[in-house]
Amino acid sequence: MQRYILSRLIQSLLILLGVLLIVFFMLQLTGDPVSLMVSRNASPEQVQRVREEMGFNRPMMVQFADFMTGAVVGDFGMSLRHRQPAMKLILERLPATVELATVALLMAMVIGIPLGLLGGSNPGGFWDTLCRLAGLIGQTIPNFWLALILIVFFSVGLGWFPTFGRETCTVFGIHLPTRSVILPAFALCLFTTGQLVRFTRAAVLEIKNEDYVRTAYSKGIGDRQIYTRHILRNAAIPLISIIGVQFGYLLSGSIYIETIFSWPGIGNLLAEAIGNRDFALVQAIAFFASLTVVILNLLTDIAYGLADPRIRYGD
Amino acid sequence: MTRRCCFILLTLSLVAITPLAAMAAPQGTLRVATTTMPNAIDLPMGAERNAHNVSWQIYNALTWINDEGKVVPALAESWTISENGAEYTFKLRKGVKFHNGEAFNANSVVATWERGKQDKMQWKEKFAIAKYVQKVDEYTVKIGAEGPSPLLLRVIAEFWAMIPPRYYQQMGENGFLNHPVGTGPFMFKEWKKGDRIIFEANPDYWEDGYPKVKRLIFRPIPESTTRMAAIQTGEVDIVTRLSSEEAEALKAVPNVKMINYPVDRVYYIAFNNLTSGKGQPTESSLVRKAMNYAVDVQAIIDALFDGYGRQATGLITPGDWGYDEEIEPFGYDLKKAGELLNAAGYPDGFSMGFACPSGAYTNFEQVCEAIQGYLGAVGIETDLNLMESGKYWDLEGKKQLPPLFGDSWSEATGEALPRLKGALGGMDASFSAWSDPQIHKLLDEIGRTVDDEARAKLYVELQRYMQENPPFIYLYEPVTFEAVNPKVKDYRPRAAENYYLKYTSIE
Repeated sequence: MQRYILSRLIQSLLILLGVLLIVFFMLQLTGDPVSLMVSRNASPEQVQRVREEMGFNRPMMVQFADFMTGAVVGDFGMSLRHRQPAMKLILERLPATVELATVALLMAMVIGIPLGLLGGSNPGGFWDTLCRLAGLIGQTIPNFWLALILIVFFSVGLGWFPTFGRETCTVFGIHLPTRSVILPAFALCLFTTGQLVRFTRAAVLEIKNEDYVRTAYSKGIGDRQIYTRHILRNAAIPLISIIGVQFGYLLSGSIYIETIFSWPGIGNLLAEAIGNRDFALVQAIAFFASLTVVILNLLTDIAYGLADPRIRYGD
Repeated sequence: MTRRCCFILLTLSLVAITPLAAMAAPQGTLRVATTTMPNAIDLPMGAERNAHNVSWQIYNALTWINDEGKVVPALAESWTISENGAEYTFKLRKGVKFHNGEAFNANSVVATWERGKQDKMQWKEKFAIAKYVQKVDEYTVKIGAEGPSPLLLRVIAEFWAMIPPRYYQQMGENGFLNHPVGTGPFMFKEWKKGDRIIFEANPDYWEDGYPKVKRLIFRPIPESTTRMAAIQTGEVDIVTRLSSEEAEALKAVPNVKMINYPVDRVYYIAFNNLTSGKGQPTESSLVRKAMNYAVDVQAIIDALFDGYGRQATGLITPGDWGYDEEIEPFGYDLKKAGELLNAAGYPDGFSMGFACPSGAYTNFEQVCEAIQGYLGAVGIETDLNLMESGKYWDLEGKKQLPPLFGDSWSEATGEALPRLKGALGGMDASFSAWSDPQIHKLLDEIGRTVDDEARAKLYVELQRYMQENPPFIYLYEPVTFEAVNPKVKDYRPRAAENYYLKYTSIE
């Protein structure tokens, strides 16, 4: 187990290094961002002075070495637009993204898993048709389109939810979500819900035909016990991996959903940073998102072993 | 009897004062949607129009440009200009206090200038316009430029937001940016990054009767469809930068009032005679005129902007000082275009590189494609390259774009000189690709002429020259659309898409 975790940590570090390398050089391909940092009336001398101050006149490998030296200690430099440390800006926006991702994941689990269970336990029936339809819709409808439809219908039409922004209520110093999170979370959870519906259904269908389930039935054990003791417990294993991976993606911020709902999270910040060619901020967000995904994948793998003791890690 | 008289007098005075006081008291909350979240509530650091619009609600400058476009006193009560037009002496308003209680005086002017001209400031050159700022006494300052500086008062009005020196020193740069303090009609209250900025009325504001609203909230909504929805639901009171299609869709909504106005921004296709355009046919003024006649700008405005827009006659718009009323747009005249190309020695046309930014301006990609088609009709084949705007502006700043390229330029000072210098300054200006000695001469003269009328005449001369020798294909000046809650009164946006909300009230 320890050797496995160590090897996964080394792999994760290599992935993060790769992400930093790709993001750095891809951003460089877009040219230097100084033209957006000075006014259009600036003279070429002024532009050159800013370029030198920001270090964009140095050879690319020197810039990369400098960037990596900072990145190792979590210093991604100053945001070119906000003139504040990039990591500070990310951490300011993190609570909003965590809130949205958590609510979206919970929604996906609450809708997706029971629906998958119902579908898998009644193959060919009404619930199964609904389950397959939900899986298909969830994975095919673009969430940015759904987001706009939700706004038009539930905010403008019915007035049930705010159109945009994040409102919280504070209880004992803790910021709790309010109804402002419902629409963005629903739009965001759609894909994950579709996946959970499909995987739960498939897992239930497969497990239902296993020998140990048939044996349990032949022993006269009731449906409820079979589902809770055998089917759900075994179906949980593939679901853990989906939930873990999806939570990683949700936490790294959704550009579309956060922009449409003007949600003050990391995705919104990233959209703005890309538009402004804010190199430091884009690099920091890319690193942060990768780190989140890598850590959650690692935790998922470890959780696998806990959920299913038969899984061995090759040691 | 005396007591009775006193009582009656007191009652009468209370009756007289109460409505005035009630009228003056700021009321209600005004919620404004911005298209981006400002990077700073600060003028020298504010990256773009939204940041400046938000910032000006809490600051004042020495001068102000009023709704008629005239420079009027603000924190300076008066000023005199030296004979050579290079030195301005300002008498400052007494008794004005910053939101933190610090007194406004000459030290604030010096500190504002010293901070603004630092290299790290985005609008450094707007402060570097002054060579020195000298405190004469507590309420008198001298501001001097290298030479005659006719735009100094306008630049001060647009960028020199006065800061409290002691507070700034105590807080440091970051501290000040997070808790900005000015002398303006509103005071900073809270900034939830990415979500909202909250200001409150300044109870000690030096202009009587302003501001009209008690609380001002800015909410960033980058997506225009969401902005449309938010004004319909009443979650915001003012939304800006809507397209003509969106404005049309909102027209029928009962609780929304649509407004539109021409923007001081000129769209153009630039020629290059400095780098990539050297030795190209476009060095001939006949060819450049022919290309202006070859493009049906009105048809573009009608087809792509529902007729909302105005054909540009140059780089000076009707709202700018010195605009020549008599000048006409080129108009669409294929016959004339053909004759001019013949006269220039290109009867069969020629080919040329052409680039435009994508994703930067409304429908600009389609505008460029239309222009490509129009030029093709007179035998000018262009190889249109639509480029991601960030990369595009990088190349434009380095003068590495093809000899024909599209862009636009806005101006907020009410005079086109900064735009003209920027776009026509030759090798001395980053975003210029054109150099013409006669234009340089006229621009220098304008830049030295402090007398307004004399400067206006020079602008007219320049416009006429630029009509005969066009450095651009002049395209259009756009119209912007905004949606406002009908309860909002006295919202007065200006041609540079800027606004001052001290007048604005909400019922």
